[in-house]
Amino acid sequence: MRRRLVSEGGRPWTADAAMPEESRDSAGVRVRLDRMVEEFADLDAREKLELLVDFANGLPALPAEYEARKAVEDRRVHECQTPVFLWPEMIPAGGARLVADVAPEAPTVKGFVAVLAEAVAGRPVGEAATLPDDILERMGLVEVLGMMRTGGLRSIVARVRRGFAELARSQA
Amino acid sequence: MPEYAQPDILVSTEWVAEHLTDPRVRIVESDEDRALYVQGHVPGAVEIDWQTDLQDPLQRDYIDRAAFERLCAERGIAKDTTVVFYGDKSNWWACYAFWVFKLYGHADCRIMNGGRKRWGLDGRPWSTERVTHPRTTYAATEQDGSIRALRDEVLRHQKAGRQLLDVRSPEEYRGERMHMPDYPNEGAVRGGHVPGAVNVPWPMNCNDDGTFRSAKELEKLYIRELKMKRRSPTIAYCRIGERSSLTWFVLRYLLGFGNVKNYDGSWLEWGNAVRMPIVRGPEPHGTSAATRAASDACATPPVHA
Repeated sequence: MRRRLVSEGGRPWTADAAMPEESRDSAGVRVRLDRMVEEFADLDAREKLELLVDFANGLPALPAEYEARKAVEDRRVHECQTPVFLWPEMIPAGGARLVADVAPEAPTVKGFVAVLAEAVAGRPVGEAATLPDDILERMGLVEVLGMMRTGGLRSIVARVRRGFAELARSQA
Repeated sequence: MPEYAQPDILVSTEWVAEHLTDPRVRIVESDEDRALYVQGHVPGAVEIDWQTDLQDPLQRDYIDRAAFERLCAERGIAKDTTVVFYGDKSNWWACYAFWVFKLYGHADCRIMNGGRKRWGLDGRPWSTERVTHPRTTYAATEQDGSIRALRDEVLRHQKAGRQLLDVRSPEEYRGERMHMPDYPNEGAVRGGHVPGAVNVPWPMNCNDDGTFRSAKELEKLYIRELKMKRRSPTIAYCRIGERSSLTWFVLRYLLGFGNVKNYDGSWLEWGNAVRMPIVRGPEPHGTSAATRAASDACATPPVHA
């Protein structure tokens, strides 16, 4: 298995100047997802969870300026038992960025959000709004996590997609 | 100073640390988030997952007796093993796994008080090794119906006005938290609670460090304030039966209730089934159906568009 080499606590968010590596990747959302699906596909259950933990470790810590916004904005995904806050955004250069805060006691959710963040980073928001519904199936995570847990993850995909779709509409 | 009814049912992290390699003891982790076990577990602990290990993949039920026997054999658990459960979230899922083990008659089950949180706070080591133990043979008993309530029994229990606890959050109990967009699989069609059920949210059983509250505090809550009787038949429910297995554990083992059952079908069954009595609001007997119909007719806009 290819372990993802990221430091504990993840990459720092860089404002706009230096984009994270995946934002400079010219591949589209689908191609990036295909690559990540391939990473998961042949792993056994334990390895899949280990890879999710690697992704979780790569999710950047929430920038300080977002911390205060948690209390006043409707950013929480209420369908999730654990606190999950999502900001689907458009950076000034025009690309998509998913800023997220997931409680450390939910590494599965955190890892999955990191997958989504990597898939959309720097892509046009209209394209970020086309995140497909079958990511969990294709990664083989449904069997590993069970139906009750995947419900929360699906609602995260829906929430992210909706957020980017709104941004795309406001841009048009 | 009152003691727990069965103080030995709880073991400390220190006790576990001293028994990590004891062949008579098996440590079992059960979590809401399975990746926590992968991140690090008590050395030598095996994982038993409430969903993928303990639930039947097809029928909405627990695994059958043969599957339970296979599970124990694979995890190196024998009939006379002392099984110590622990996990995240103040041991919700640990209590759930404990309850399923009791359902199949495993004699010696314990809970590590404080679970993952207390283990970490005590500065004890985490391991990421892949754990295997020598296979056993295991013969389970038939399911013990004395700790599991099914829907019809809950209905009779409710009609008889017996002790019924709803351990969900007050918002769920009052029937307010219902709107679940993009979430077709897990919701209940109707919100509210079983008429007569008293709301005692599960966190009231626990301290911030994940341990159970003292016998004195638990007695004050359940016996003195809620006037519950240890001898009266009692049923606890939540949304899917996990939080209520923690309350079941508290009532049965820490307070010594003689007859307490977990309704594992819980609100996910009750709130979806046809003709089940439901009330809303903060009181056990809630708002009556007639009053509710009248107020619903006047209400604009509708609560759930």
